[in-house]
Amino acid sequence: MFEGSWMIVGVVCLVLIGLWQRARQLAARAEARSAELAADLEKMQQTQSQVIHTTKLASLGQMIAGVAHEMNTPIGFVKSNVEVVRELLTEHRQLLSKCLQGFDMMLAADLNNPQMVEPVRRALTKVRAALAGDQRLTDGDDLLKDSVDGLVQIANLVKNLKGFARVDRDGMDALDLNECVESALTIAAHQLRDRVEVVKELAHLPKVNGVASQINQVLLNLITNAAQAMEEGGTLTLVSRRSGDQVEIDVSDTGGGIPDDILPKIFDPFFTTKPVGEGTGLGLSIVHKIVQSHGGSIKVRTAAKKGTTFTISFPIDHALLKQSA
Amino acid sequence: MSEPRIRVLCIDDEARILRALKALFRDMDVHTTVDPTEAIRWASEHDIDVVVCDQRMPKMQGIEVLREIRMNHPRAMRILLTGYADLSAVLGSVNEGEVFRYINKPWDNTDLRQTVQLAARIARDTPVVVDKAVDDISREQARREVGILVIEDNPETQQRMREILQPHYQVRFASSPDRALQVLEQHETGVVISETAGQHGDFTALIKALKQYHPHIATVVVTDRANAQTAIDLINEGQVFRLLLKPVRMGSCRLSVDAAVGRYWQLKQNPQATRRFLVAPRPDALIPTWLAGNLMQRIRLLPSRLLGMARAH
Repeated sequence: MFEGSWMIVGVVCLVLIGLWQRARQLAARAEARSAELAADLEKMQQTQSQVIHTTKLASLGQMIAGVAHEMNTPIGFVKSNVEVVRELLTEHRQLLSKCLQGFDMMLAADLNNPQMVEPVRRALTKVRAALAGDQRLTDGDDLLKDSVDGLVQIANLVKNLKGFARVDRDGMDALDLNECVESALTIAAHQLRDRVEVVKELAHLPKVNGVASQINQVLLNLITNAAQAMEEGGTLTLVSRRSGDQVEIDVSDTGGGIPDDILPKIFDPFFTTKPVGEGTGLGLSIVHKIVQSHGGSIKVRTAAKKGTTFTISFPIDHALLKQSA
Repeated sequence: MSEPRIRVLCIDDEARILRALKALFRDMDVHTTVDPTEAIRWASEHDIDVVVCDQRMPKMQGIEVLREIRMNHPRAMRILLTGYADLSAVLGSVNEGEVFRYINKPWDNTDLRQTVQLAARIARDTPVVVDKAVDDISREQARREVGILVIEDNPETQQRMREILQPHYQVRFASSPDRALQVLEQHETGVVISETAGQHGDFTALIKALKQYHPHIATVVVTDRANAQTAIDLINEGQVFRLLLKPVRMGSCRLSVDAAVGRYWQLKQNPQATRRFLVAPRPDALIPTWLAGNLMQRIRLLPSRLLGMARAH
């Protein structure tokens, strides 16, 4: 009996030792596995942040290409006009110097000798008439007026580009969202100009706290999506309003709408309906992320063949409201 | 009697561009309009020599305007002046507008003025080739006499071209510039179909050199290396007849090659009209070294099979 119980104790001990060893093995394996998982996760996060960075660069590239194209028109006529005005001035100066020559001859002529005066007088009258009727200065003036106009347009585009990228600041600012809307519209102009009509209904808004370059990116993404939904043309409507404690912006298109089976997935990272290589599937997920990080929210309403409206809303900062008051 | 002033028609949705062009062409008769429909009517009613047209406009794209003018008033030479270089516009300006030059905004005043003057001279002195389908008898003759050269080093595309064209034309293939010249030296060739580049390098230099010395040969470029700037250069320096993207489609390929053979056939009857497809000579510095020596010499010495070509030059 006594021996028997020792045996039992021995067996139990052996079993316990075995279990303990097994548990240690398992723990070690689990540790290794979790280290692996952590490495995977880190790698995935890195890839995603890389892709987000790439998308940001892509939208920067899109923006620069857009503005560069917008500038070609004003640069085109300003450059041409300035060159033409120089030519007009040269031609006018030649006419003027002929006239002056005539005067010199007149001054040098012996006024008591009509035979000498008469031909000079006739020549001078002719040159004078040509000078008086010369349109070159007026034409040149019109061309310069257009040129000043064009330069103002170029300056505005550059100002917008600076405001859009906000390379000079990257922190939170008190923003007027209407300005962000205008700025994003300028940048997107080349995607819209020949087929999409733009309607703006912008209300006077209190300022909100935000990172301008990010909000601009949100609006550019939504406008770009809207433009792509209306390949055959349509109307892009931008509405801003105050609603209680929120500032809201609607971006609406008159495109085909988002199908029901796709709608739940539109904010998922890497979800895209475009062919491989054409879209990263990150546009709306970035929009979502940026809006959330600003304490805001995003809603979508869509109807087949009628169009889609994205509404983004941001909280009003009451401290800011008091400051401005 | 001095020659009547050049009649130019400018179309753009930006009035300030139109005023700038009017001032730039102040020694010519210039009519400007923002209305594409009016422009199309005006071109034929006022027997316009040169049309300068913007591409992106709200009511109608530039290439559509130019296509309409090409059909209603083919005598006018067409120039596209645009701030945008998107590939679809470039393709359209070749295949539909058949433009003489594709010019980017901002333009160079001296260049643009010279281009318009050259275009006007050509429009006045040179008969029009009317694009019409080759009739049955001529088609049989064209098939017997006119060869088609395909410059392409991808065996799959070669095979595809053979399937599409062999039943209708005498087709010869070359995968290198050297072989291409052999074909051109030995056979009357009316149409050259070519990629923009192959393993041996850039074929566009060859296409442009060929056009410079033998502008009657119609070139059809079929490429999967689509790039707007390459295409623009192929218009301005190569007067390419059609520009198609791969994969090669039976229908559009047949249509383009039929039209190209038709164009060659028309020019063969009417060599003077070849001047309409004139390209500016390329500076030697732009000719790649592989082409510059022997090959360039062979291109120059290719038999010019069109009567009257000497006068046309």
